Amino acid sequence: MTALSRRGRLAVTAVAAVVLGGVAVGYARLAADPAQPLPSAPVTGPRMHVLSNGRLSAVSRADPAGPREVTGQRCDRAHAAGGTIACLRPAGALAAGALVVLDEGLRELRTVPLTGFPNRARVSASGRMVAWTLFVDGHSYAAGGFSTSTGVLDTRTGALVTSLEEFTVDGEPGQAADRNFWGVTFTADDNRFYATMSTGGHRYLVVGDFAARTLRPLVDNVECPSLSPDGRRIAYKAAVDGDPGRGWRLSVMDLATLSSTPLAETRSVDDQPAWWDDSAVVYGVQRGDGTNDVWTVPADGTGTPRVLVPEANSPAP
Amino acid sequence: MPGRRAPLAVVAVGIATAATLTAAASGDAPAAAAATTTFTATADAFVDSSAAATNHGTSGQLGVDGSPVKRLFLKFTVSGLPGAVSGAKLRVHTDDVADAHSGAGGTFRATTDTTWSETGVTWNDQPAIDGTALGELGAVSRNAWHELDVTSYVTGNGTYSIGVTSTSTDGADYDSRETGATAPQLVVTTGTTTTTPAPSADPVLVGVGDISDSGSGDSVTADLLDDIPGTVFTLGDNVYDSGTRSEFSSYYEPTWGRHKARTRPSPGNHDYNTSGASGYYDYFGAQAGPSGRGYYSYDLGDWHVISLNSNISMSAGSPQERWLRADLAASTKRCTVAYWHHPLFTSGANHSPSTATRPLFQALYDYNADVVLTGHNHQYERFAPQNPNGGLDTARGIRSFVAGMGGAGHYRFGTIKPNSEARNSDTYGVLKLTLHSDSYDWQFVPEAGRSYSDSGTTACH
Repeated sequence: MTALSRRGRLAVTAVAAVVLGGVAVGYARLAADPAQPLPSAPVTGPRMHVLSNGRLSAVSRADPAGPREVTGQRCDRAHAAGGTIACLRPAGALAAGALVVLDEGLRELRTVPLTGFPNRARVSASGRMVAWTLFVDGHSYAAGGFSTSTGVLDTRTGALVTSLEEFTVDGEPGQAADRNFWGVTFTADDNRFYATMSTGGHRYLVVGDFAARTLRPLVDNVECPSLSPDGRRIAYKAAVDGDPGRGWRLSVMDLATLSSTPLAETRSVDDQPAWWDDSAVVYGVQRGDGTNDVWTVPADGTGTPRVLVPEANSPAP
Repeated sequence: MPGRRAPLAVVAVGIATAATLTAAASGDAPAAAAATTTFTATADAFVDSSAAATNHGTSGQLGVDGSPVKRLFLKFTVSGLPGAVSGAKLRVHTDDVADAHSGAGGTFRATTDTTWSETGVTWNDQPAIDGTALGELGAVSRNAWHELDVTSYVTGNGTYSIGVTSTSTDGADYDSRETGATAPQLVVTTGTTTTTPAPSADPVLVGVGDISDSGSGDSVTADLLDDIPGTVFTLGDNVYDSGTRSEFSSYYEPTWGRHKARTRPSPGNHDYNTSGASGYYDYFGAQAGPSGRGYYSYDLGDWHVISLNSNISMSAGSPQERWLRADLAASTKRCTVAYWHHPLFTSGANHSPSTATRPLFQALYDYNADVVLTGHNHQYERFAPQNPNGGLDTARGIRSFVAGMGGAGHYRFGTIKPNSEARNSDTYGVLKLTLHSDSYDWQFVPEAGRSYSDSGTTACH
């Protein structure tokens, strides 16, 4: 990328939206869903970010299935909170993949080059902390067929942890060869966080301390935790009978008691959920042809799932 | 901004191509109207002589045993069939638990009483197993589908009830309908089943990648090959996880092994988890080309077929790339297909496009090849003909497929890439190519009981 690119992208977003919009619609007709191209329309009021087949988009919280503002920002996974947008940009013909941190005006504040395949992204509620997970090829220790790389950026200090494998687990320095991390969620103090650590065929909920660079396992069979707005519960995916090969049940765990409630969504959910408010979670479910929809279900195990945003994924309410 | 005009042009050409394809596909639609409809059990339960008054209707398991005696009952409601029944198969799936397997899967017979209820039936209050004899299942393995032909019993819409008994003291355990995806099924075929081989004697090339692990997906795809004559290709990751010789013996040999004599494989990264892929070369022998090299070619009818190795150097000037260019230059065939493991074009969410393969794709493009088959992402995806940089190219582009649905657990899709024309990530199957003298037909052949399909025809360059 040349020095021109940053300014160029800004111009693209605002001025050349017609050009990009035309291309996006064309691609959608060809590839994603011939029947329903996604025209961009302005959104007012409180908004929720989603991805529309890899395009950063926003919908109104009051009408999530309604008009959608589709930007030119390409992300394979994104999250937004507190005025900060984290976009995991796919590798292109001329550029490697990257984490791009944007403000609400889509100005690029920081770019971190990354190697791997975007999988999870999370911004702390204040907008200060950003975490990501990538699938990484070529790690021979991945008996389950994959390996991950998870990093954290403090956007206030610029402190960058490229891999949680650098952290000390339970006072034990060094790295177990088969340790994998994914799915970070931050607490309100912008220091403590939760994540998944897999080792020895188990997937543990760990609590981390960013400043102290430590991690401590809490409980088995918790993946992709997502802290509730009140900070008292996590929504997560629990492998059915502890076996990811059988899929995952969307569940909510009370952090004080570690008691878990399976939610009314009975299909396998492979996503890091997000919270709509303290009483409902949102998550993506993929159809057989690769099209995603954002669904919502009550957080207490009652009710029935329903589509919140059709043809979208990576929800950030 | 040279890129600005190009994508818009691409869009316009793409729409025209899609229209052409649609016309071609409908023109070639087969005349026969066979259809399969899958019904899951509407009630199922086992009864147990050692707990004679207990109902087990909501259990996730269906046990059948000789001591203590357990019997199981299945009920299906068949309705809405689109035509006369030409065949019916009962499918039951063994539990994924120790001891689910058995040397005897049970004796199946209809019950004339179809009024029993799932939550009411007990040993003391069970229907008589007194109807049409349906046959027996022999040895059943753990965590696998097993099938029984019940065409003699299922003749049209209606309610069907089946009882199962066993005299084996080491009984079998099946999954009940409460388990969802592995619930007992009745697969009913209506209309004329015309599985006649292609009217012409044009050769068939059929296969898939990402095949044999400890699960049952490879059995399902191996079964499909039983009904498809022709040359079998593999797209790598023939066995998991380590590519050892013993994995080939334990996983591949009992399933795809029965098609080995007609198989021309290619290796994947899991095959190369054993140093030098020695398990792979030892198992396939001369059918994998020169041992240790992993790339070779052969002819089928009017086609030149090339199996390549994406686990070693593919760079321009590498021995493999130079061999490929020489092989293409020497070929006298009108049409060319090549296959290897790592895809250059994929919308998969687990493995990104392997740009290291581009020099191979470039060589094939330079010599006007027609089709490239790859795997690695555990799913199916078909792309329109593209140039090596992913641009739509209806004149000289190569149509590429990801066919990684051979048996290993499915992956998800990420952002859908331009020119991706068809996708599926929930059905095992094989990809069948019929190689005509100046064109090819492709067909996704799904696992029994599933309906996903994708087929079409494209002319050679």
